[in-house]
Amino acid sequence: MGARDPHHPLDFLTNPERFMAFSRWAAPMFGVIAAVLAAVGLVLTFAAPEDYQQGDTVRMMFIHVPAASLSLFVYLCLGVASFLALVFRHALADAAAVACAPLGAAFTALALATGSLWGKPMWGTWWVWDARLTSVLVLLLFYLGYLALRSALEDEQKAARAAAILALVGLINLPIVKFSVEWWNSLHQGSSTLFAKPGNGLPAVYAWPMLVMSLAYLSAFGSLWLVRIRARVWRRKARALALQQAEG
Amino acid sequence: MHFDFDAGKYAVYVWPAFALTAAAFVWMIADSLASARRWRREAERLQAKRDETKP
Repeated sequence: MGARDPHHPLDFLTNPERFMAFSRWAAPMFGVIAAVLAAVGLVLTFAAPEDYQQGDTVRMMFIHVPAASLSLFVYLCLGVASFLALVFRHALADAAAVACAPLGAAFTALALATGSLWGKPMWGTWWVWDARLTSVLVLLLFYLGYLALRSALEDEQKAARAAAILALVGLINLPIVKFSVEWWNSLHQGSSTLFAKPGNGLPAVYAWPMLVMSLAYLSAFGSLWLVRIRARVWRRKARALALQQAEG
Repeated sequence: MHFDFDAGKYAVYVWPAFALTAAAFVWMIADSLASARRWRREAERLQAKRDETKP
């Protein structure tokens, strides 16, 4: 085993100083990209024609589907970061896990709320205990449980470990959410974007606003995630300095 | 390019969905920036205090 290369290209993900240098320009850069994409996405959203079945409610799809996709993607990030924090006890991985949980919870709550607002005029009900809707509600409960566990225990290390285990257990729910519309009879329609069956794909006039808004959400998450990890790194530094000063 | 802001009978569902989305993004941005600013200032304050007391 040779000595670790100090200039490894991925060092910015493991070395807090390099991460802070990287995120200092990357966070605002992703923020600007997100703002530009959101502006273009909104123009395309309101320029798209009414759908022959959904009417004007089709515009809600361009904010609902990206929120739902991000709710799953952010949980995957939470799971991977929790695994790395649990196995390698890496401080940046733990910071990454705790930093993305509130964002994931917000995207999941948005997916449920905008889906409910679409469901009332289209399905005739705000809510059904359907496999897709219920599994997304369970996803929100995993996020909230993770956040509650992190703040419930006074010992931060114990809280981080317990919450990381909960996050890993919650990974089981991701394929359930994704494939719920195929495994069970569901009121919720199947995928019409990336994993659409032949003939179920969106026409270009709806696919473009969906794609641009999805990239806007993804960039916004990237930017805010980096900002929140930076906050955790400073918090850790402040705690260490406070402890040093208390010990004299 | 023609923009259609008239959601007709669905306006009562469409606009609250966009308003909720905007509110969620405002919260995510404000909370993230406030948290980063708070802890950066705290770390800088404690660092300055330590530098002052160094012999």
